[in-house]
Formats: sequence, C-alpha cells, structure tokens
Amino acid sequence: MAKSLASAQGVPTHHDRGWAQNSPNDWLPTTTADIGWVTDSKPASYSDAVSSRRSTGSRRALCLWLPTFELRLELVRSPELDSTSVALLSPGESARRTIWQVSERAHASGVRPGQLVSQAVSLCTSLTLLEPDPAHYDAAVDTMLEVLTELTPIVEPAGRGRVFLGMDGLERLFGSPRHQIDRALRSLFRVFPSPLVAATRAGLAPGKFGAWVAAASARSGSPIIIPEERLGNFFARCPVRALPVDPLVISRLERLGIHTLGELRRFPEPALVAQFGEDGKNALAWSTARRIDPVRPWHRPRPIRVSLEFPNPVGMVGTLHGALDRLVERALSRPARRGRSVTGVRMGAHLEGGGSWFVETVLREPTSDRERIVAPLRAKMELSPPSKAVETLLLELTDFGVASTQTGLFDRKNESGRATSELDFDQGEVPANLRDAVKELKLRLGHSPLYRVVEVDPWSRIPERRHALLSFDP
Amino acid sequence: MTHRPKLRPLARPKVVTVRTDERGDPVFVRLPGKPARRVAVVRERWRIDDEWWRHAISRDYRTIVLDDGTVMTLYHDLLEGLWYAQRG
Repeated sequence: MAKSLASAQGVPTHHDRGWAQNSPNDWLPTTTADIGWVTDSKPASYSDAVSSRRSTGSRRALCLWLPTFELRLELVRSPELDSTSVALLSPGESARRTIWQVSERAHASGVRPGQLVSQAVSLCTSLTLLEPDPAHYDAAVDTMLEVLTELTPIVEPAGRGRVFLGMDGLERLFGSPRHQIDRALRSLFRVFPSPLVAATRAGLAPGKFGAWVAAASARSGSPIIIPEERLGNFFARCPVRALPVDPLVISRLERLGIHTLGELRRFPEPALVAQFGEDGKNALAWSTARRIDPVRPWHRPRPIRVSLEFPNPVGMVGTLHGALDRLVERALSRPARRGRSVTGVRMGAHLEGGGSWFVETVLREPTSDRERIVAPLRAKMELSPPSKAVETLLLELTDFGVASTQTGLFDRKNESGRATSELDFDQGEVPANLRDAVKELKLRLGHSPLYRVVEVDPWSRIPERRHALLSFDP
Repeated sequence: MTHRPKLRPLARPKVVTVRTDERGDPVFVRLPGKPARRVAVVRERWRIDDEWWRHAISRDYRTIVLDDGTVMTLYHDLLEGLWYAQRG
C-alpha cells in the first residue's frame, strides 16, 4: 500500500530513468516557501566552508519524507478504508472543493489531485471522500518532531510529513550513516504504526537540497546516502523540477529544453542571472553542489492552548462567539503567558462527524486586550465558517510580543473586596481577592469549586442546551 | 490540547416515575426519594421533534401543578418511553 501510494503520487524513484517525463505536479515543493528552507540571499559562490562556519546548523542533512502524509494518517485511523478508493478533500471552504490526495485505487480509477469533486466522483463512483483534519495532522507532526529531537538537537520541519535532521557529529553515537538512518526510522516506530514508517523515504546528503532530492528519489525501505564527492554527479540526472525556485522559472527552463540539473549547469552564471535573476543564480549553485544549505535548529514554538468541549455539537455563530470570548479569557489568564502581549492567534474546532477547521490571524499590534484578539477571529469566522457543527472549540496563542502587564498604582483590581461590585465581570476582569480565594480553594480541594454560567444556545428549544456551567479558574 | 474543560449543561432532565391516565396525561408523579404526588392540573402541553439528522429528539412536554402547589415541567421521551422532570 505504502509503495503504491507513493507511485500514485508520481514521485520519481532513483531507478526511474525518465525523470523529466513526470508531470509538473509530481515534485511537491516547487517553491522555496513550500520546502520551508531558510533562504538567505548570500551569493551562491560563497564557499561551503564560509557558510558552515557562519551557520549554527548541521551540514550533513537527513531528510525523512512521508508522501501523502495526511492521507496515510487517515488510513491509519480508519483501516477499513485501506482497500477502498479514498480521496482527501483539499482544506478550505470554497464552493468548488477539489481533491487534495488520492489513494492507489482512486488513482487507478483516474482520480488525481486538483480535480473537482464532481469530476473525481464521475470517474470513480465508489470514491470515499474524507474531510481534512488539520488538528490531527499537526498533532502527528508534533509527536514526530518530539521523538526525533531525542536523536539530534537539530531538527527542522519542512511542512507536514517532511523533516530535516542535522546529522553532524552523530557517527560516534550511532555509527555509520546507514545506522543513523535506521536509528531515525526506529524512533518513528515508537509513535507511528509500522505501515506509516515503512512508507517513509530517507535521504542523507550534504545540505538540505541534496537530502531532499535523495529522499524523493529513494524507495521506501531503501534510503539513499550521497557522499559529498558524489553530490555533483547525483544531481546531474535530477529534474529541474526538484529546484526550490519559482515554478515559472521551472516552466521556462523546461520550455527552453533544460530538463535536468546536468543540462542546467552547462550554462554560464551570467546567462542564467540575466534570464532568471536571483533564482537563476541559486539554481546553478544548487545544481553544481556549490550551495549547501545547513539544517538549522528549529525554534519550537510553545503556544498557549485552551479548548472548550460542548455537550452537544454547536452550529450557531453567536454561541461560538460566546465560547470564543471565554476561551480568549482563559488563554490570557494562563500563567504561561507571563504578562506577554499576543501577536498571533489560531482558532480551530473539532467538527461533528470528524474533520477539523482552523483560522489563523496575525494581530496588527501586540495586545492583551480580549476584544482586540477576538475581533479579527470573529471576522475570519464570518468569512470562513466551520463547515459542520462544532464539538470542541480550540484556541492557540501562537506568537507573543513584549510584556504588556503594567499594574497601575491605583489599579482597581488590587482594591479591597468592597470595590469589586463596580468591576465588569463580562469584560474578563477578575478581582485579585476573588482570584486569591479561588487559589486557596484549589489548594484545599484540588479543583476550583466555582462555576460561571455561560450561554450556550439561549434560544434553543431544548432546555438543557441553553445554559451551561464552566469551571471558574482565573 | 493540554486543557480541555467541558461545559456542564444546566437544566439537565431527571428521570421521574409517572402514572398516566387513559389519555396519557400524568396523574401521579414521584420524584426520586420522595413520595408520589397527585397532579392537580395540566397547564400546558407542547411537543419537540428535532435533530432527526443527528440523534433524534422527540419529547412531549407538559407543565403541571401538583396537589401541593408545586409547578413542574415534565416530558415524555417518545423514543425511550421514559418520563423526565426538567427545569426551564
């Protein structure tokens, strides 16, 4: 299944001679942004020694790649679908949904990524369509990174299902390159079922580009290791489509009859720069193995995550807005925020019947004001509402700015309990004395015994749906 | 997600024991742990049929007054066959 899925995607293997015969969509990362590389604009002629001396990363890179990662996760979750024609719908809420990833059987029926759902269903009437579940996929990626960080501290994710590991200096710990790859794959067995790990492709080479090309041309279970002295020869047969440059550049190169990196590097740099600018220069540097991008340690974000599970799936926007208010309050009150202001927020939901939904926003200016955080999320929700009723609403504060907590000398929050009646609880203001009281009760009882009544669906015909108690834990 | 509080619905229905007349109206109601009380009057009656696409809900509601003056809202779950008391 694993192998056939990969071939369904049309990924070239090392043994394929006709690299250039693959369709333009075969190579997933066609832009630098897609592959998630750090692209500094230093000259391509920079010597490797200089680049490695200036970088904090690892020159030897191992790329682990799980093609159609998301679909494979779905098949692991629902094994009964393994023998059927399955397609994963593309994320997003456009009226004309398209196919994102397809299983081997669906591919055999003519279903291809990018097709409209109507086209796909007419080609394969027994096709099972799955809603994407980004929350599930992201959790799997987090788990994968967590495990791989135990192997090497230099881990750099490049999209879901693809990760670069810095392997410099690991020989004395894990032995030969082959042993190092085996060790990395064994780590994955701890968190993923064997069919998923068995489908992983691995490539070890100097620099991320070399490692990625090696992984993409490897077969499952047969990793490719490229020593530095063979890197140039290895690239010679690679299609230009492998280059992480603008797709328009690739398209122009192919129209000019330049299909492989070997053909590309016959051209002088000035000619390529004149035609393609910076991309031309970079393409030449990659194809001649002069440019080696080290794997850089990934700064692991530590978002503040809160969620709210509804007793019954909720479809009313007003109810979701109310729940969002509560979630933002909870997230802002988390000690992990340490008074920092918020600059990036992500809101999501687990949907009824499977699937998930997410919107993300970057705030115009750092803030810790609830209304300023909620307003853009509400606007995003209006533009792209959840496609189904929401079972659990999720909120992540993803990016933070400078500390914003500044307690005034006459801060009303620090006044005595007699002044609390003037405070507006709806605005999320919790007086210090109430906060202290809850803290004491929690110490004594192990949980907060106070609850806040929140509106869930105030106009529901079913009485138990109208209001609910939410633990009050400021 | 590290923190997943669940909302606790208010006005959750509680199972009660009901004796009905030939028209299906409650005559006696017994709340858990309390003696049965006679129903003095049935004030209002309405029905809710909803969410057939999810988990169907079919309830026959009545507002009743017991012989001690207590006003209650009862419903007969037409799918389960049980009687419930509910606030709200």
